[in-house]
Amino acid sequence: MSEASVTSIEKPPILLMIEDSNEDFEAFQRYVRRSPLTIPIYRCVDGDDALAFLDRTGRYADPQSAPRPGLILLDLNLPGTDGREVLRKIKQDETLKLIPVVIFTTSNNPKDIEACYRQGVNSYIVKPMDFSRLKHSIQILIDYWFGTTILPTNVVEPRQ
Amino acid sequence: MIHQAVYLTDCDREPIHIPGLIQPHGVLLVLQEPDLTVIQVSANTFELIGHPPKDILGKPLLALLTPKQIAAIRQCLSEDFEYMNPLDISIKREAKLLRFDGIVHRQNALIILELEPRQKSQKADFFEFYQRVKNTITKIQKAPTLLEMSDAVVKEVRKATGFDRVMVYQFDAEGAGRVIAEDRAEALTPYLGLHFPSSDIGEQAKQLYTLNWLRLIPDATYQPSALVPAHNPVDDRPTDLSLSVLRSVFPGHLEYISNMGVRASMSISLIQEQKLWGLIVCHHSTPRYVPYSVRTMCEFVGQVMSVELTNKEAHEDLDYKMTLKSLQGKLVESLSQSERFLDGLIQPDSNLLDLVSASGVAICAADQIICIGQTPPEAELPALRDWVKTQIQHNQFETRSLAQLYPAAASFKAVASGLLALELSQFHQNYIFWFRREVVQTVNWGGNPNNPVEVTDSGETRLSPRKSFEKWQETVQGCSLPWRACEIEVVTELRSLIVGIILKQADDLAKINLELERSNTELDSFAYIASHDLKEPLRGIHNYSNFLMEDYAAVLDADGVAKLNTVVRLTQRMEDLINSLLHYSRLGRAELSRQPTNLAEVARQAIDTLSISQPQSSIEFRLPRSLPTIHCDRSQISELFTNLLTNAIKYNDKSEKWVEIGFTQSDSGDPEDPLLYTFYVRDNGIGIPPQHLERVFQIFKRLHTQDQYGGGTGAGLTIVQKIVERHGGKIWVESTLGEGSTFYFTLAARGQS
Repeated sequence: MSEASVTSIEKPPILLMIEDSNEDFEAFQRYVRRSPLTIPIYRCVDGDDALAFLDRTGRYADPQSAPRPGLILLDLNLPGTDGREVLRKIKQDETLKLIPVVIFTTSNNPKDIEACYRQGVNSYIVKPMDFSRLKHSIQILIDYWFGTTILPTNVVEPRQ
Repeated sequence: MIHQAVYLTDCDREPIHIPGLIQPHGVLLVLQEPDLTVIQVSANTFELIGHPPKDILGKPLLALLTPKQIAAIRQCLSEDFEYMNPLDISIKREAKLLRFDGIVHRQNALIILELEPRQKSQKADFFEFYQRVKNTITKIQKAPTLLEMSDAVVKEVRKATGFDRVMVYQFDAEGAGRVIAEDRAEALTPYLGLHFPSSDIGEQAKQLYTLNWLRLIPDATYQPSALVPAHNPVDDRPTDLSLSVLRSVFPGHLEYISNMGVRASMSISLIQEQKLWGLIVCHHSTPRYVPYSVRTMCEFVGQVMSVELTNKEAHEDLDYKMTLKSLQGKLVESLSQSERFLDGLIQPDSNLLDLVSASGVAICAADQIICIGQTPPEAELPALRDWVKTQIQHNQFETRSLAQLYPAAASFKAVASGLLALELSQFHQNYIFWFRREVVQTVNWGGNPNNPVEVTDSGETRLSPRKSFEKWQETVQGCSLPWRACEIEVVTELRSLIVGIILKQADDLAKINLELERSNTELDSFAYIASHDLKEPLRGIHNYSNFLMEDYAAVLDADGVAKLNTVVRLTQRMEDLINSLLHYSRLGRAELSRQPTNLAEVARQAIDTLSISQPQSSIEFRLPRSLPTIHCDRSQISELFTNLLTNAIKYNDKSEKWVEIGFTQSDSGDPEDPLLYTFYVRDNGIGIPPQHLERVFQIFKRLHTQDQYGGGTGAGLTIVQKIVERHGGKIWVESTLGEGSTFYFTLAARGQS
């Protein structure tokens, strides 16, 4: 286990962003890049893509192409299988349910918020329309999850 | 002289089958077996056969007739004498041979022989008889309806007999009669369509009519001839003359016909199922004898017509039923095609009246009564309906004399003596009432009232068709024609058809509601999802404009930066609009969470929040009395107050601003939730021009530019309206431009469950 923790220091946790909007993804990336932390970001453009990545099926059959993420950033309104379904699948999977999921969405519908927390999401962020608030939200998100908390990646990885 | 002035009804009291008298145009001999001894004769034997009664009485018939004739009589008696009569009888009187039609029948132990003198011109040509009868019978059978058959019969009988007038007279269920067909000499007053009371022909007479198919009175002014001796010696009783063709007529009847100006009459019975259905009645203004052979033909015509009655009636009934069915079908079709059930019923082509041959119909719905045709005054109908409700059994009620059961109907018996009521729904108070006029309203005296045909006897006419008609009118006072079984049946069926339609409509309505609910939900989720999708590119525009400013600020001049700032500002405004739309659509979908809510508290909180957010302005909030506690969704009502108060303050350019919040209470009319509050929020603001009063509740409708009165999305009042409507209330506004506006809205104390 101590070796594993050493590994974790050498390998920074991966962030998986499940986001269909290129513009939103670029805006996100823009402010992550400004962070002093180096965070590898993987992106899936829709729900099916995300599930393939997490299950390592289809074009992600090679485990190298789909490393285990330390944190999942999930949009709810996605083409095809939408974010709510993706969340349900993640939380039903014994391995995947360990990975913290942060909802990052435009929906401020109370029903969505309640349903997501009931499924066990770790955080629910409504994408702010205001530019400066958006910047602020992303900075805090990165600082908190990658600077302050310890992610379960190290625990999950050795099982492979 | 035997003549009694009596009313016709007397014939019910006097035994008319044993008058002891005969009409004098023939002779009657009562014979006793085995020798056919003459034991009783009519007193007129000398006049007709040349032997006075005393010469004949006690002697065998052989003294009068030849053995051959007696053998024929015996032959006749041993067989069914109806087929043998008349016998050709001749009696020698001095040098002359008198010829008679002999008609023989057995009455108990006695034999009655009647002799009518045979006319000289008379031919007993069977072939001619056959030809005439055959022709008549063909006409009877070919006639498509009862009335056409009756018309054919009266013409044929008149042609065969030469009477002035031949009528078909039909009895109704109560025994009253009506002339349904008539063929007459031009000059005579028509009797067609006249009605007569059942008392005109008594039960005894009817009984005799069923025994004898034909009765002839060659001269109504005859002097009857008595039987000698008066009682027959066998049992010392008057001889039963029930089957005698010469039997003397009941005096009242003679008076009756003689008052009509009739000297000769003949009647042929029409019998259906052993009951007297009617009569073929022949009248003549002068004495008229009809030979036995012609009478036989007429009798035969009567018998054929009797047989055909059942056919024709069944056929007509069937025709009528078919007509009703087809009317019913049309009605049901128009009902099922109309949006509202009532609309279908009152359509002019709905044939609601024809359906049961009614003269008026009233359709009672919960809140209105619609009348078609002749009906009682509308003011009478609610009371009538309430009474009928107590009488209805198996969804129906019918009477032909409403006023007898419901005295208040006496005032409108002319239009509504008959009532056929159908209950469609007791709960919804849906009824259909069909009315029939009083029968005397529909039937009038056919003759010229100024030219009475009756012969006045000693200044007073007691017995005449006209008097009879009047008497009949009295017996049917307040009565309509009876409702026929097939009419009642069609109405019963109508009910189940209507119920079927209503159920189907309810079914359709439920489907539509479900569909509507689904499409509403879809619309809501559409608004919600669309708004989200709108937000995404908007955020892109917003972000990229900002990226531009961050990355290229050095390259852009002040104007370029200002334009980018405008883009950013517009994206923010766009987002406000989308958020309002989202909020509005969510309001429509969210379940109301009703709870007892102290509105005074809610208003106070809204005022506090506003005072904090706008500390610079001094506003006077007036609450004339404490607001009540009602059952409502607290957060929505709180938003309602906040929005209305915000508007009241926002659209106010006075230096001394005030807002008044108050209410009045009234009865909602709903027993479950009787207390209805009307709240108001009144300000001394800028007011609303009258032409815009309607528009203030439209979503995103603003009366001012973004630069004025602090801007806004224009969704506030739309949301307020939605909240009030979701609580089952109404909202409206009154305003005077420049002086201020008052928004009113109603909320029930308990709210809908």
